[in-house]
Amino acid sequence: MIEHLKTDILILGSGGAGLFAALHAKKAAPELDVTIAVKGLLGKCGCTRMVQGGYNVALGKGDSVERHFMDTIEGGKWLPNQDLAWKLCKTAVERVRELENEVGCFFDRNPDGSIHGKAFAGQTFDRTVHKGDLTGIEIINRLMEQVLSRDVNKLEDHRAIGLIPNATGDALAGVLMIDMRTGNFRFVQAKAVLMATGGGPTMYRYHTPSGDKSMDGLAMALRTGLPLRDMEMVQFHPTGLLAGADTRMTGTVLEEGLRGAGGHLLGGDGERFMFNYDERGERATRDIVSRGIYAEMRKGNTTPNGGVYIKMSHLGPADVRKRFNGMVRRCADCGFDLAGGLVEVVPTAHYFMGGVVIDTEARTALPGLFAAGEDAGGVHGANRLGGNGVANSTVYGGIAGDEMAAFVKSEGRFHDPDKGVIGFEIERALKPFSIKPGDVNVLREKLMDVMWEDVGVMRTEETLTRGLRRIDEVEQELMTVGVPAGNKAFNLTWHDWLNLQSLIEISRVIAQAALARRNSRGAHYREDFPDPGAMETSTFTVARQKDGVLTVKEEPVAFTIVKPGQSLLDDETVKTPNALSAVEVNPR
Amino acid sequence: MVGANNKPEETDQPEVMIEVSVWRGDAEAGGFRTYHVPSRQSQTVLDIVTYIQRNLDPELTYRFACRVGMCGSCGMTVNGKPRWTCRTHASQVISNGKLTIEPLRNMTKVKDLAVDMTPFFDKWVEAKGAFVPTKTRHDEIEAIKPDSKERRAADAAVECINCGVCYSACDVVAWKPDYLGPAAINRSWTLVNDPRDGAQAERLKVLASDAGCSNCHSHQSCATYCPNLLNPTRSIAGVKRRVMVAALKGEV
Repeated sequence: MIEHLKTDILILGSGGAGLFAALHAKKAAPELDVTIAVKGLLGKCGCTRMVQGGYNVALGKGDSVERHFMDTIEGGKWLPNQDLAWKLCKTAVERVRELENEVGCFFDRNPDGSIHGKAFAGQTFDRTVHKGDLTGIEIINRLMEQVLSRDVNKLEDHRAIGLIPNATGDALAGVLMIDMRTGNFRFVQAKAVLMATGGGPTMYRYHTPSGDKSMDGLAMALRTGLPLRDMEMVQFHPTGLLAGADTRMTGTVLEEGLRGAGGHLLGGDGERFMFNYDERGERATRDIVSRGIYAEMRKGNTTPNGGVYIKMSHLGPADVRKRFNGMVRRCADCGFDLAGGLVEVVPTAHYFMGGVVIDTEARTALPGLFAAGEDAGGVHGANRLGGNGVANSTVYGGIAGDEMAAFVKSEGRFHDPDKGVIGFEIERALKPFSIKPGDVNVLREKLMDVMWEDVGVMRTEETLTRGLRRIDEVEQELMTVGVPAGNKAFNLTWHDWLNLQSLIEISRVIAQAALARRNSRGAHYREDFPDPGAMETSTFTVARQKDGVLTVKEEPVAFTIVKPGQSLLDDETVKTPNALSAVEVNPR
Repeated sequence: MVGANNKPEETDQPEVMIEVSVWRGDAEAGGFRTYHVPSRQSQTVLDIVTYIQRNLDPELTYRFACRVGMCGSCGMTVNGKPRWTCRTHASQVISNGKLTIEPLRNMTKVKDLAVDMTPFFDKWVEAKGAFVPTKTRHDEIEAIKPDSKERRAADAAVECINCGVCYSACDVVAWKPDYLGPAAINRSWTLVNDPRDGAQAERLKVLASDAGCSNCHSHQSCATYCPNLLNPTRSIAGVKRRVMVAALKGEV
């Protein structure tokens, strides 16, 4: 039995994008019925909350939207959609003021009371607005309160499993969900839907994102036939905690500031190795340090759990404890002495630059469907600057809210769902109950190994081809491994199965897009094609699935605002980006 | 390619097992079930719960999200005390090889270890925990000195992640379900100290109401159990002082 619900605007996800969309939609059109659906509890899922660094915005004297934009384009290795990147940088100014003046966030101040901007790697101006090193908590707490105090419907513990078009396939009718608490299906019919579930590359053995994330949004978009861009672009953070198997601590991020402050990375032999790879040593950029660590791991120069060590003690344990209080406490809670001892670390999948193709109004190719945040692609290109992630989700979430309200008022209407697609999605979701129960987690670990080994930090045609074959094998095995047909209510093992299916579907797209890109740009590194290729003829990948067949095409980047070799800044004002050594840590 | 062992050194000894009693049930009924989970060097209480769900009892329900003490989803009662399970190393809480895990108290049970936090957040809103703006996105951000007395008071309390641990630990909430509770009043206190907010009088009225700050008897459980080392009791004491001053002026 399927329960039916109707709402004018349905928002999937309650991170920065989802919550901002709700506030903006409600402000633009208070008479509309707005509903937020979230896989867990409102404001507690997703990754905006986990933002440590801060929010890039051109507020400071001497900074400009142009400068922020140029940093974003250079950081993205000329692959970003320039119109999206421009709108990000321009709107961020208003969005941060909105966060402070209307939402109630309080960001760190300079002694004179003005907003403090900290230095962050890869940028030419100290423009990262922050709240200590817990910026995300401040932003999400304040947004959550605003949403909770408004007339917005909540569907908590609701998991979206399928985007349901109308019978002719030219508009979105709504979203099929599972009410996780009861285990029942629920079709939510809506005039406009925002997909803001957050990407999050959790299909890698080591990953930082929130554990609820499993690429459900992108998998739904893929099954709906929507174009996905930059899917090969997975950002690895060099220092994820390595605590071994069977613990959710493994993969969680240890902040970049540790390296910036002078932390050393040691191989299993106890020696520093980063200077063999880059003259900046541990202070090289994230991608270079990740590859350096990975190379040592491949050589077998590893710690007991197969990673490397980070060492801070030479900076003075008391000082480290003071400067990195939060990190030291977290490590201590988990049994590690970051200030005085050695902690095992490993590169860890951190952020997903790829996503659904959107325009500057957050519209997708399917009328009625909008996407924002990590579900949407094109803003960051080949690499995301630290501090541009939360800017992206809040800027485009707000834009999506405005646009959905306008869309619903001008042309929005309820469409009848394609019953065939609903039937297909229900059958897909119930599949695990019809096969012999088995160990879903073993398969999840298998996928994580495949992605880490073959589609990870360093790739070749050989590894990617093998990876694609192994992903197929995991998928075939999943079709033989079921879940006990007992109580469907809040059955996490059922949801683990569904999570894994989403991850498999998107893993295949990552591998195929990585195979298509025969050069090395930003986060994507091909050992067999190490050159970045000519910037002037840059292309980005677009993946699409039709009738079960996945194709990846390359499309030329349209340099609509600035061409490679040019800058929006006067020659004399062009600066070198901050190296990690200049990064200010924990200014509190 | 990469080894990922998290087991004790290879020995001839049998694996060390932990005897874990987990509350299973729903809002109507339930009881404890016992599981045996192998001990690991790196192992949190959340890992133990996860092990049970993945290997011993696929229908066990619990909540978690961020894994690092930022989202406040994984609060449970461990050996009788409320805590974040993602940041509690098993060795901190296992006693005589045993562990008891229950859902958070003072919240409605949904299933097994997952609770309904709706009343907790309703009170957050009721305590006027949402900022009321006096400016818009088109105005400049207000210059506020970080060392002002108000700002220091707000900063000391603002890093709450609404995990519900203090609410679950509070005796008064247990006796008087209408009481706003430590987390909501703590948030309110940060706004009482925020000169940008435009609803100070209304907020103090709620805080002075029957559901408000006067219920707190300073048992300090909130401060004792707050995993973020905040002190809601101190915030509530601050609120009490403001309410008193407002009362003398006839404002509440």
